[in-house]
Amino acid sequence: MKRFPWEVIPVLVVGIALGVLYAWLVAPVRYINTTPNTLRADFKDQYRMLIAASYASTHDLARAKIRLELLGDTDPVQVLSAQAQRMLAAGQPFEVVQQVAMLADDVQSGVAHIPPTATIQSIISVESPTSTPAASLSGTETPQATPAESPTLEIVTTILPLDTITPRPTHTPTPTAGAPFILLSNEKVCSPTLTDGLMQISAIDSRHHQMPGVEIVITWDGGEEHLFTGFKPDIANGYADYVMQPNVTYTVRIAESGTPVPNLTAPSCTDASGGLHLTFQQP
Amino acid sequence: MPRWLYSVIALVIGLGLGLLYGWVISPVQFVDTTPASMRADYRADYVLMIAEAFDADQNTDLAIHRLAVLGSDSPADIASQALQTGQTIGYSANDIALLQELTRALQAYQAPPTPIEGTQTDSAPTGGTP
Repeated sequence: MKRFPWEVIPVLVVGIALGVLYAWLVAPVRYINTTPNTLRADFKDQYRMLIAASYASTHDLARAKIRLELLGDTDPVQVLSAQAQRMLAAGQPFEVVQQVAMLADDVQSGVAHIPPTATIQSIISVESPTSTPAASLSGTETPQATPAESPTLEIVTTILPLDTITPRPTHTPTPTAGAPFILLSNEKVCSPTLTDGLMQISAIDSRHHQMPGVEIVITWDGGEEHLFTGFKPDIANGYADYVMQPNVTYTVRIAESGTPVPNLTAPSCTDASGGLHLTFQQP
Repeated sequence: MPRWLYSVIALVIGLGLGLLYGWVISPVQFVDTTPASMRADYRADYVLMIAEAFDADQNTDLAIHRLAVLGSDSPADIASQALQTGQTIGYSANDIALLQELTRALQAYQAPPTPIEGTQTDSAPTGGTP
């Protein structure tokens, strides 16, 4: 019986090492034509902000959704809402935050605030160009060699959110911008799961869309508290809350505009915690 | 079979396994890429988004700031490249018009009017005293 050539083992190891070295250092897999879903987190944030800014201009929800899909987020609404909160907390301009929050809201509801007058959607562009510069540009990720008889490259389906024929709507300023908030409802809430004395506040616009970033001022004898809606996106983008103390009377108003709502106290409920739910609307 | 051939075969197998590991099983992963490395059609769409936003706000400085992530070329060049890509891959006329508008604005921004000689006063101190 022949002896196993053990001396080949170190050679094998050296070969593996050389192979890995070559693959990782000399000629690594190159991703020069990357897709948006591989972007670094902060660039993804920028991408979303840009989608929102573009959407604020075009109101083309279908196109915005396709662009969001490019980022590969499992739940775009949640991601957009979370980003809006982060931006708000970071002190970014409210107009920019509002664009992101508005996009989240519209994606969730599936309805554009100001829908485009007409949208003919043809999203998937199947390209099979020959050796034009565009072929090498737009299809390098999924090229497929054609059969030997054809000397050209055929580029296979590329999802392009580009081919939307959209008559551009004129930019219409929101007619209610800056209008004072009004108290839409003031409800007593009794629930065993509620934090006792919880004052829940919702800010919505005329279309009942949640409004993040709305400053709320709560005052009482000898004190004042400022809140912002939107810090609890898991509940709603236009939501904020505050725990009232027993036997204290509060006044609530929207900081920028609106009539104060006085004489608010923590209600009492039998066998349950009591709170209030105030809904403010900007008409 | 000569013994040296075993070594050669082992080396080749080792190289093959190494390449398999490095290229297929555990390739270098670029998960944190930048917009500048995106494929041309995605870059063009990125610029189109900027153009769409620019259409509403007409803020050239903001557009330039947004374009900066797409590389070290001048903003006008980046927009121009996006315009070419858009034309090649069949953007709608409306989108092309937006990109043209942005490109024109950036080109105009890059070429401020040359001051006429003698009309500009230089207030830099000369160091002398009156």
